[in-house]
Amino acid sequence: MTVLITGGSKCGKSRLAESLLGDFSGRKIYLATMQPFGSEAEAAISRHRIQRAGKGYETIEQYTNLDSLRVPEQAAVLLECMGNLLANEMFSDNVADDPCAAVLRGIRHLQRNAAHLIIVTNQVGSDGITYPAETERYIRNLGTVNAACAAASDLVVECVYGIPVVLKGELPCCIR
Amino acid sequence: MILIIGGKAQGKRSFVMQQDPETVLTDGAHCSPEDALRAACVFNYHDLIQNLLHAGDDPAAFTKRLCTDNPNCKIILNEIGSGVVPLDPAERRMRETVGICGCILAEHAETVVRMTCGIPTVLKGHIS
Repeated sequence: MTVLITGGSKCGKSRLAESLLGDFSGRKIYLATMQPFGSEAEAAISRHRIQRAGKGYETIEQYTNLDSLRVPEQAAVLLECMGNLLANEMFSDNVADDPCAAVLRGIRHLQRNAAHLIIVTNQVGSDGITYPAETERYIRNLGTVNAACAAASDLVVECVYGIPVVLKGELPCCIR
Repeated sequence: MILIIGGKAQGKRSFVMQQDPETVLTDGAHCSPEDALRAACVFNYHDLIQNLLHAGDDPAAFTKRLCTDNPNCKIILNEIGSGVVPLDPAERRMRETVGICGCILAEHAETVVRMTCGIPTVLKGHIS
């Protein structure tokens, strides 16, 4: 199954994603898309590593072009997170011509090749601030890819301070 | 009246067009208040509120008038109140006024829908 988990900052999205795969017996791939720029990113990465420790994840770091990723057979993939992936496709050294299309190609590839795909994304753009054009473009693109991922998902959940609010589908106790 | 809310780029206009592909959309950022009073659907209503504030008009009074004079209108209003309180008094006033007008619209609307990732959540009433 494909699951999209959204919500604001630090509201339990990763925890929910991991708990959904808590009883999954196959290989579990943690697909990290955040580039370790600076001490804050490193702290976030190390915090998430500690949270995942002992839960049996293999970590793969890939920042762009997810459609070229080789996924082990019958593995579950936890992609964290869409916000970083899109930023990488829009703003990194090898920028994609069409960042939304590049992201969605990767998502379709993962859907085809993984037993389960859990996508962690973000809600941005509800703060009333008008940002510089480039950032506004990022907000729009994130909305576009989120809506496309939601349409392609069996389950869509918004995390609100740790509480899962189901927007589509039904929350299983765990995925096997 | 149907009120559609949500953050930027969550599929608010797409939802209106899915419900009725013939809907004529009026952009609140560029239309006159009189246009809004006759419109089938106003999007960017938060921008209309800002324009009213800039013109020295009372957006809350106008919103009440809209609810009375154009009761079948669909209003698309961005949720903009979830950030830090702005330092600039004009931005603060704008944010608060959007909140006040949103409450007026939600009270008058028979249906309120909140869009997230293209998915509608019905907060009030029901959708077909």
